[in-house]
Amino acid sequence: MDIKLDIKVAIQAAPFSMAYGYDDALAGRSDIGAVVSFTGLVRDFNETPDVTGLTLEHYPGMTERTLTDIGEQAWQRWSLQAVRIIHRVGYLEPGDPIVRVLVASAHRREAFEACDFIMDFLKTQAPFWKKEHSTQGEYWVKERHSDQQDAARWR
Amino acid sequence: MHLTHLNTRGEANMVDVGDKQETRREAVASGRIVMQSETLKLLSDGELPKGDVLATARIAGIQAAKRTHELIPLCHSLALSKVSVEFDIDVAESCVHVTSLCRLNGRTGVEMEALTAVSVACLTLYDMCKAVDKNMRIEAIQLDSKQGGQRGDYQRINAQAPIVTGDGMAGEVSLGERCPSPCVRVKFLAELRERLGESEAVVSLDQLASRDIGGLKAALAERDSRFKQLTDQRTLCAINQVMANDDALVTDDDEVAFFPPVTGG
Repeated sequence: MDIKLDIKVAIQAAPFSMAYGYDDALAGRSDIGAVVSFTGLVRDFNETPDVTGLTLEHYPGMTERTLTDIGEQAWQRWSLQAVRIIHRVGYLEPGDPIVRVLVASAHRREAFEACDFIMDFLKTQAPFWKKEHSTQGEYWVKERHSDQQDAARWR
Repeated sequence: MHLTHLNTRGEANMVDVGDKQETRREAVASGRIVMQSETLKLLSDGELPKGDVLATARIAGIQAAKRTHELIPLCHSLALSKVSVEFDIDVAESCVHVTSLCRLNGRTGVEMEALTAVSVACLTLYDMCKAVDKNMRIEAIQLDSKQGGQRGDYQRINAQAPIVTGDGMAGEVSLGERCPSPCVRVKFLAELRERLGESEAVVSLDQLASRDIGGLKAALAERDSRFKQLTDQRTLCAINQVMANDDALVTDDDEVAFFPPVTGG
């Protein structure tokens, strides 16, 4: 079972559940010993203090391909049993979940590391762009050097 | 989520609304027709050869809303209690905004009626003005809000911001330009698109000094100096949705995208 890739990615405008991927990844399995998930939310402060919402644009086709590729890299690097990645696009408000990554493995260390790895590469490679709306107007979010440094840790 | 107009075998199917509660339903749709500023002035001054353009288009929109069931195969015929069609002349954008509100007490929604009213009002505006302007464009016909019904209310948020670019959204048909000679289709995404004021371009391979991304950037910069910013080292590039650098080769019918550093997650 663990030789077969079990990676699913989804891009959608609709909200997703905080439990997204859990039941699906674990269904019918008893060899999974650890599940780590990360959920990213929209903050009401970022480049300006009063963010009222953001609009996420993506590049359909390339986005799905890139996320699958990142999942496969993690699969090669660690011994994993399931990977689920979901990312929202469109208009989001503070408090809304924007991204969720779930990794299942036999042991916790691999699941922790693979989840961290996937998020670092998602933030620096997947073609998403955020435009923040704030009380001072709207602007495109700039790339962050720290995100590039985080991704470089894995090289 | 499922499509109510398909039955269990996937065939087209008119929904039986006999058991639904009658509720007050309302829908607002909008669209616009963009025209040359001279055309817009003739229209607002009432000097077009076919006469009072807006009054005619209003009647056409109202009539069309009442006949929606004849046009859209699986729509029910509805006893509308109100149909309004309003026009807003926008000199700055050189267009006429068209808004329709439809209302009834009934068992099925009225968004198709509102959308049909806007569409036909726009078409009538086109017909009334086409003698002086063939370049008019009907755009952005959309549902703005709806109230009532079991699926609850809907309100379009932030209607002007693009959510996605590129092909491949379910249910959308891309009408990309076809070029007669070998060419590449270029897309500009996110902030880059807004800075350039362009979302797409078609470049013939014959125009490239070298058939690679570097050659494509040079050909675009020659076409318009705004495209010089593509050589900024933080502008990224993908060929057929795979990351590429300046040396990567381009071939006929490739899709090349330029975009800023990514900021998802």
